[in-house]
Parts: sequence; structure tokens; C-alpha cells
Amino acid sequence: MSDWTRGRRRDANNGEIENSSYGPSRWSNCRKRGIDGSLRADREVDGGVGGDNNRHADSSSKNSEKRPESFTTPESTGPVSRCSRQGDWGSQVEEDEMKKGVHRDMQRYRRRILGAEVTQRERKTSSGSSGSCDSKEGDHMETDEAVLLRRQKQINYGKNTLAYDRYIKEVPKHMRQSGVHPKTPNKFRKYSRRSWDQQIKLWKVKLHAWDPPAEEGQDNVLDNIEELGLGDVMDIELDFPNLPDSQNAPIPHSLSLDSEDCSGTPVKLQKTESKVEPEMGSS
Amino acid sequence: MENTTDDYKIQSFDLDTQMLLKTALKDPSSVNLVKVSNVIVDQSLKDQVFSKEAGRICYTIVQAEAKQNNGSVFRRNMLNRLQQEFKNREAMRGRSLQEWVCYVTFICNVFNYLKVNNMPMVALVHPVYDCLIRLAQPDALMKEEEVDCLVLQLHRIGEQLEKVNSPRMDELFFLLRDGFLLQEGLTSMARLLLLEILEFRAGGWLLSGTAHKYYYSEIAD
Repeated sequence: MSDWTRGRRRDANNGEIENSSYGPSRWSNCRKRGIDGSLRADREVDGGVGGDNNRHADSSSKNSEKRPESFTTPESTGPVSRCSRQGDWGSQVEEDEMKKGVHRDMQRYRRRILGAEVTQRERKTSSGSSGSCDSKEGDHMETDEAVLLRRQKQINYGKNTLAYDRYIKEVPKHMRQSGVHPKTPNKFRKYSRRSWDQQIKLWKVKLHAWDPPAEEGQDNVLDNIEELGLGDVMDIELDFPNLPDSQNAPIPHSLSLDSEDCSGTPVKLQKTESKVEPEMGSS
Repeated sequence: MENTTDDYKIQSFDLDTQMLLKTALKDPSSVNLVKVSNVIVDQSLKDQVFSKEAGRICYTIVQAEAKQNNGSVFRRNMLNRLQQEFKNREAMRGRSLQEWVCYVTFICNVFNYLKVNNMPMVALVHPVYDCLIRLAQPDALMKEEEVDCLVLQLHRIGEQLEKVNSPRMDELFFLLRDGFLLQEGLTSMARLLLLEILEFRAGGWLLSGTAHKYYYSEIAD
């Protein structure tokens, strides 16, 4: 595990140097920081392992002096203020909508958990993976709004893809087999930041199996990549489906992991673009 | 609840644009939504009739886009255009009173129709108040078009606005009382409109039967 961490740290630094050699692109600013605003370099220094949410809150306040006032993210059309309360009305309304959605989800989830508490406890003994080994899920769910919002955004990036659309059409919920079919990570469970990001990454890799066939999808992606100046980022993403076991290839992953927070939109754009093109046909 | 296209009052657009809007309502992802939002905003600033109901067509397109592909391109662009115009509203008012009045009508209409989870858009609350309070300034009270616009908006969204921010409504009504009492040179129509809106709010955003008779008895049903 320590080798992995070291490798990641090294590459985060190299990644930043590499990014600047491509010249300032729209995304070069946002790749250096996570969606919560804290600089990537500092997150690495924190040790990565078991970095839970409180730690991140602390690190961001420590670094508030160093951070520039504004940066450009894929969601905005121009520079926006660094803090999550963005200046433009479009973003404010979207943020507001997402917050309300997350709170509504939380209430629904709580009700579901309370209702099924006994069966949940019995099922828990078989899972045994990282993180929550709590007997009562309802008491130990993630409730930090900032964390939930960040996780929801990551989930939205994954769901807002052609692959996901095709997947849910092809495999109804009752037909899903665990392990075989991708399952959306549960944002209400307590996980370390790294564990969560890893789950998201693996989930998205699995979803790629439902990418549309080459003529429709991949070529279009490649066209859009050059337009959007995302060549460096998207090259890494496209490698994923070929890896036999994604857990054994940490180095390319770390760069895309960093950029995942901010670069999910290209896939979304891909979907929108292909629908806008009249020649591309329907769907 | 299906709105017929007539409800959207798009007759003032040329035929090509009408086609564009109709397509946007049915199949948003097949059109350039940035263009659609600009078309709607531009027209709202020119056409008083359209600006009074443009919020409705905006709402339908927003819903359609969200349903079709979970997108919000239209809403985002429309709101940001609104914000741009808001930043330059003083210049707009100086340039054209008609455009300014149309703008206020439009932004209030959007506030009325575009809800998020059935709640008003928080981002618009202060801007709307800023606009209405501007309309209650002494120089604006001298212009009947501005007074008329002000009372119309308060009739439509006053109650909602007060719910989401009561102190600012108080602030607005201090100005209206002052204006009514102290402003010299107000036309009698302006004074009538102000008195009516003061009574309207005092009655809990309702006009009593007798008050209604006083103000509206001349109007045919």
C-alpha cells in the first residue's frame, strides 16, 4: 500500500509539471485542485490513507491564503469564485437544486434504513469490506453536506453518460448480479475519501462495458476531445477498458482520478453533442 | 396540465423562430438551447406582452430538458443572461424605460414560474427585490409605466416574495408609503396605484370586497 501512495505522490507532482507543458488550457487550473477547493499537493502530504472528511476540512482552511480567488471549471463558462457559493445565477441554482436533492435523498434513505434495520444487521456479517463495520447503519451514515454534494456530483458524472443510459435499459435492477453488473456506490455510507474515489473509479470503468459501438460513440469522443482541448485527460480515460485488473495500474489512474472531479463534463458533452448532430441519427 | 402553444404567446416571433421554440418544447436536445434562451430573453426585453408570460415557456423547456437528458443548458444560460442584464440595469433604464420595465416583468415572471423543488429560486430573491426597490425610488415613481409595473409584479409575486424575505418587503413598503405621502408631482393614477397596493398588502395580499369595488368597479367583468 505504501508503494502505491508514494507512486501516486510522485505522479501527482509530475502530473502538474506535465499539465503546464501543454500550456494553459481551460482545465489546467481545475486539475490542480479537488472539487472542495483544497490543493492536490497538500492532500497528498496529508498521507492519503484514511483521510476522512474532517481532515479535508482542516487542510482547506489552512491553505486559504495560498489559493487564487477564481478558477475555471468545466461547469462554468468563465472564471468563477473559488468558494462553492458561485457568483453566477446558473450555478447557484444548480447548486441549490443539488443540495435540496441530497437532503431529500437523505430523508428517504433514513426512512428506508430505519424500516429495514433488523435485516440490514443480519446481512452485514457477509460483506466485511473496508469502512463501515457498524451494527446500526442509520446511526453511522454520512451526513456532511459538503461530502454528500461532492459524492453526488461524482455520481452524476457517471450517470450522465451514454454508457449508463444503455446499461439501465439493458439490465433492469432485478436482473443485476453483484460483481458482474456495476452498482452505484452508496453515498450515505461512511468511507474514507480514497476508498470512495476508488469505488467511483471502478464503477465508471465497469460502466464502460456499455459504451456505444465505435462508429457512434468513440469517434465522436475523439473529435470532441480536440475541440475541448482535453487530449491529455481523455487519453487516460480511454485506456481503462483494456486493463485486465484496474487495481494493478495505479499510476495512470491517479491523474484521471484527479481530473475526474472536474472532467466528467466532457462525457456529458459527448452525449449532448451526439444528440445535437443531425447526421448521428436518433436516440 | 398541457399548455397549448397559444398560452406561450409566441405569435410575435417570426415563423422560423416559432418553429424553433415549438421544437425546443418537444425535443430540447435537438436544438441549440443557448440560442433558444437568447431568443427568449431578447424578445422579453422588447415585447411587453411576451415578457408577462415568458416564464411559462421557460419553465416548460427547463422541465423538458431535465426529463430528456437531465440537462440544464437552457436554464443555466437563461439565468446567466438575466444576470448580465441585471448588472447593467441602471444603464438599461437610462437607455430605454420600456426595456427596463420589460426586464423587471420578465425576471419576476421567471421567479414565479421557475421553481426548484417547488421552492422559489433563492438566487433570484435579492435581485428581484433590488429591481422592485429601484422602481419605488422617487425618480421612478414619477413614471407611470414604472409604478404600473411595480404594482403588477407585487400583485403576482408579492406574497411569495414576502415569505422568502420579509424584511426586504418591509423595506420596499416603507418607500411606497413615503412615496405616496411625500412625493410631489405624482400623477393621480400613480397615487391610486400606490394606495391600492398598500391596501392589498395590508389585507394579507388580498383586497377586501369593498376595496375591490372602490378600485375596480369601473372595469367590466
